[in-house]
Amino acid sequence: MSSTEEVAAGCAPTGWLVGWKTLFVSCGLLMACNVFLWVWDYNYAFTAGLDSSSRAFALHYRTLFWGELLSVGAFAGLWYGWLVRTGRSLLNESVTPAEEVRRVVILWGIIGVTSLSIYIEASFWPNWDGAWHQTMVRDTALTPTHIPMFYFFFPMSVVLALGAYLYGRFRLPAVYGREKGFPWSFFLLIAAAVLEFVEVAFNEWGHSLWMSEEFFSVPFHWPFVIYGWLASGMFAVWGETILYLFQIEKKARAVEELPTHTAAAG
Amino acid sequence: MATAPSIAAAAAAERQRRLALRDLLNAKYQWIDRTWDAVFWITAIFVVAGAADITRLLFAGDWDFWTDWKDPQWWPVVTAFATIIIPSALQYIQWAAWRFPTGATYTCVCLFMASWIGRYFQWHVAESYPMNFIWPISTIPAAIILDWLLMRTKSFVLTSLFGGGIWAVMVWSFNYIPLAPFLQPMQFMHHILTVADVQGIVYIRTQTPEYMRHIERGALRSFLGETQYVSLLFGGTLAMLGYWIGQFIGRYLAVWPIGRYIKTV
Repeated sequence: MSSTEEVAAGCAPTGWLVGWKTLFVSCGLLMACNVFLWVWDYNYAFTAGLDSSSRAFALHYRTLFWGELLSVGAFAGLWYGWLVRTGRSLLNESVTPAEEVRRVVILWGIIGVTSLSIYIEASFWPNWDGAWHQTMVRDTALTPTHIPMFYFFFPMSVVLALGAYLYGRFRLPAVYGREKGFPWSFFLLIAAAVLEFVEVAFNEWGHSLWMSEEFFSVPFHWPFVIYGWLASGMFAVWGETILYLFQIEKKARAVEELPTHTAAAG
Repeated sequence: MATAPSIAAAAAAERQRRLALRDLLNAKYQWIDRTWDAVFWITAIFVVAGAADITRLLFAGDWDFWTDWKDPQWWPVVTAFATIIIPSALQYIQWAAWRFPTGATYTCVCLFMASWIGRYFQWHVAESYPMNFIWPISTIPAAIILDWLLMRTKSFVLTSLFGGGIWAVMVWSFNYIPLAPFLQPMQFMHHILTVADVQGIVYIRTQTPEYMRHIERGALRSFLGETQYVSLLFGGTLAMLGYWIGQFIGRYLAVWPIGRYIKTV
């Protein structure tokens, strides 16, 4: 049974296994991807990842690179398509306060998994990237640590942040509706993720031109830090949805009190 | 100068605001409960850890990765600056939203966990460097003091002025305890070096060029001379600057955007 049906049947939208299911399932799936990529690198980085001209590298890493880009692209296309197609029909429907709360819970679930993705791309993989590139001589931009970090978790964070906005845009129009304009919170969050791609290109360009060795604190790495700073927009998303929850509660109380007042007046 | 009626009016307004907040807190809610707090604090761990770690990795990473890079000249300066930025941002967010003087400690605990996961799985398990060569520093004791300062002074200006200097000293002094054994002198190929320098020679980092290898001559400076005190003073000044970069992040990138929209795209 979907959480929409469960809420319609009277279940509390804030139940751990009702609305919050999205958070647990999505974080579980992302962690499964992370474990898979870590084990893959652990098994093949030293045996197949040192010489980019070898057949073993093409087999284990170029296929992984294309596989990652295609799977993230396919996921984004399918998810966005579903969000927009179903969301347009939902815009004109009136919804109960419980359903609105469920939608805020789902949005928090998507933001939660975005947070996890940001940790994986900004802390978990950069640690291996530092260790790998200070030890191994690079002969390609598509190194064993770059492939999971730059070409799976970086695009995944963009996809998740943009998906969270699309979810809010069609399902929580009172907060993120078109007529209100584009929220600064998501602007910062999405801008951070997009900026990261520009920095990936600049980083590879810099390493190929004037500093092929690894010095982690080198100035042309610094723009990566801005991503972490702009991701603070996530706190604004949490802040504005919390404020909206208070409005939903107020609205629900008004609806509950309405029959009593009407009866008293009658 | 404020007059008595204006002071009384301000006090009445403050009392009214407190009552309104108390009503908000004590009201019976259908869906707002502690679950939201739990989800917020737990899911925020990841973005906070990521932001704090990437800031440290890319501003001060090399000095933090290896024992032989933890020198008396640069390490106290760059580390103090890089590690205070995100704790300061969280200090603002938690103080503004909940009046919790815990933001810096929360951030540094998140950073501590992320650092150990990174060092253990990526540097030790995957790359086989020994943990006693690549252990990460801890900023938790310094963060507790920074939060205590904010709680006592209730002022970000005073916290930055005193906290910046204290941060540099605390980060250095608490991490000196695990570092000290690696600063002992030893003879290696007819030269006096520190144990940390010898680690740097034995564990080959092929991709770090010679000019980045921090082997110091057997002078007094190698074994913590007066240079470190000058470095700590400078580190404290930079930490004050870092604190206000963090305040900018907290104020204008996390809190200011709440409920604000770009009207024309």
